[in-house]
Amino acid sequence: MSSVILRNVNKSYGNLPIVKNLNLEVKDGEFVVLVGPSGCGKSTTLRMVAGLEDITQGEIQIGSRAINDLPPHKRNIAMVFQNYALYPHMSVRENIVFGLKKSGADAETIKEKLADVSEMLKLDDYLDRKPADLSGGQRQRVAMGRALARDADVYLFDEPLSNLDAKLRHHMRTEIARIQHQYNMTAIYVTHDQIEAMTLGDRVVVMRDGIVEQVGTPMEIYLQPTNTFVATFIGSPAMNLIEAKIEGEDLVFDNYRLPAAKIANVDLQDLKSHDTVLVGIRPDFFEDSALSSPSDNLFEFNDIQVELVENLGFDKEIMFKLGGEDAKARLDLRSHVKRQENISMSVDLNRVLLFDTSPQGMLLNTGEV
Amino acid sequence: MMNKRSTTQSVILYALVLALVIFCVFPFLQILSTSLKHPIDWGNPSLIPRVLHLDAYKELLGLMPAKEVDVPASVQRLLDNPALSAEKKQMLLDKFSAGGDVFPFGRYMLNTFVISFVTGICSTFLASLAAYAIARLRFPAQSLMANGVLFVYMVGGVLLMVPLYQMSVNVGLASSAAGTIFSLFLIYLIQTLPVAMYMLGNYFRTIPFSLEEAAMMDGCSRVEAFWRIIMPLSKPMLFTVFIYCFVIAWNEYLFASVFLKQYQDFQTLPLALQTLFTSKNAIWDRIMAASMLTLLPVVICFMLANKHLSGGLTDGGVKG
Ligand SMILES: Nc1ncnc2c1ncn2[C@@H]1O[C@H](COP(=O)(O)OP(=O)(O)O)[C@@H](O)[C@H]1O
Ligand SMILES: [Mg+2]
Repeated sequence: MSSVILRNVNKSYGNLPIVKNLNLEVKDGEFVVLVGPSGCGKSTTLRMVAGLEDITQGEIQIGSRAINDLPPHKRNIAMVFQNYALYPHMSVRENIVFGLKKSGADAETIKEKLADVSEMLKLDDYLDRKPADLSGGQRQRVAMGRALARDADVYLFDEPLSNLDAKLRHHMRTEIARIQHQYNMTAIYVTHDQIEAMTLGDRVVVMRDGIVEQVGTPMEIYLQPTNTFVATFIGSPAMNLIEAKIEGEDLVFDNYRLPAAKIANVDLQDLKSHDTVLVGIRPDFFEDSALSSPSDNLFEFNDIQVELVENLGFDKEIMFKLGGEDAKARLDLRSHVKRQENISMSVDLNRVLLFDTSPQGMLLNTGEV
Repeated sequence: MMNKRSTTQSVILYALVLALVIFCVFPFLQILSTSLKHPIDWGNPSLIPRVLHLDAYKELLGLMPAKEVDVPASVQRLLDNPALSAEKKQMLLDKFSAGGDVFPFGRYMLNTFVISFVTGICSTFLASLAAYAIARLRFPAQSLMANGVLFVYMVGGVLLMVPLYQMSVNVGLASSAAGTIFSLFLIYLIQTLPVAMYMLGNYFRTIPFSLEEAAMMDGCSRVEAFWRIIMPLSKPMLFTVFIYCFVIAWNEYLFASVFLKQYQDFQTLPLALQTLFTSKNAIWDRIMAASMLTLLPVVICFMLANKHLSGGLTDGGVKG
């Protein structure tokens, strides 16, 4: 096990920059998730760490050694590929022990590791099959097994679950979390799925267009996204962003006046330098006023006309208009609101975020939320 | 109604296929039939011999009992003379034996097999290295090289024959049997490499690069990944390419006829058959039997290739 440090890492194809000035430190035993929309350079970053892509500029370090010029096979890194990349001419057993054998492990170790991994991933019954005779989920497990059997310094995962159906994906996500706790491995995990990012990562790195937008624990990212991109990318349904005018110490939209002073960690002086701001409210933070216990920090949105209700069982998603924009709220099954009815909902002002209206939409709240 | 029409259709289809097959196979049946006929049967147009006559095969394969040597009495008396050395006696005997009549078919077959086999192995090996480079690596003038090798095919063999022979004379290779065979081997290599490269290159491209990347992550260098992943996965194609090269060399006549003219002992089958056809030994059953035996390895090769080609080896490795 080892730490991984990326220092000012750049990657361009020709003149086209793909990864721009990336800095990241993955600590020993830490599970870091790179998340971002497709094409933002996550795989490229991972492949640079693996050595499958060369680095245009910058430095990558594993443990205390710089590995820029080290070929992939000398980096002692294990990787799970998005398309699994199992060796088709080898049995599951041979696939799993291939890397171990290559590293010169003795027969006893190989046997132990194989038993270990195949038990953990429930591959015992398939060890003699060829990859062609396995289902997608089984292949995925073999790919995981091949990496986990190795005694690598760093484990890399490139969207390992993206080819599975929803149910299997959920199952494997839980398995990976369990394995991670058991092995305590240093790992970089790439995904475009924000749920995977939230549930698996010790820390999450949110990327866009080759730039790191934010690095933090899942809760930091969820509660204190540094800008509107992170705010809307993480969390489902996405955060509502409503443009509000600043009048005195109030944030005004529709006929609501939110008292800025009650919103956590807002510098009122700074706020007054803006004409308008974006008010960010997560759908999860709306409560049915009829059910919420009164508190002086609640703000009430009265008489909201419900356009649509989507029942998800325990949850229901409610669609309505706020500040002229489509907005969503997530209420639980105790609310019996129907479409075209009116409802009053309240929001804890401690949970409200403010962003400036610049293209980046930077967070205006400061400090812990 | 539908059913009936499709029956008619399939009858027509089968009839056409059968006609085509017969058209293709007929010459071979004719060869086989004639090779098995007794001389008295040659005039018989039927494909089925009246009696099975295997003498031609036996003779070619050296299974005939040695003929009694018919020696005139005067010569016999000479042979009985104890003063004559054993060596001289043998020379005398040879004059009367059927020596000139024997066609060393086994020898030619061995010659042909050796050069074809070596060509097949070397060409497949070199082609796989070259094909990998062209399919996977990036280097200057890559496509020029990839397409340039096919240039060999734009120039007919007849045009190259004389210059190539002259070259091998100038280099000094043509002055010895070994050198001549080596230059012939080089020519076969050049003749088979382009297509071999082309076939293997296209096959390599169907192998996902991520398999090699996975091998590299598992601790293989690029070269090891080639040997441990690419080569085993390409077995069916390697085998096919080997057979292709083998058969080309096995059947090659043009260059062999020029290069091996003066080295009787090292002639290959196509050349030897040509000699046989025009010699005083041009006897129908023997010609046909020789042709049949020459064909046999080719047929076996194709049958093996067919068997190996079923089923893709790269299935199941990657998804997505
Ligand atoms: N070999 C290449 N040549 C040019 N552009 C590339 C190459 N590989 C990837 N890219 C581009 O780099 C960007 C990032 O790709 P990638 O890292 O795979 O994104 P993702 O975050 O989806 O994994 C994409 O826009 C892609 O088009
Ligand atoms: Mg990717």
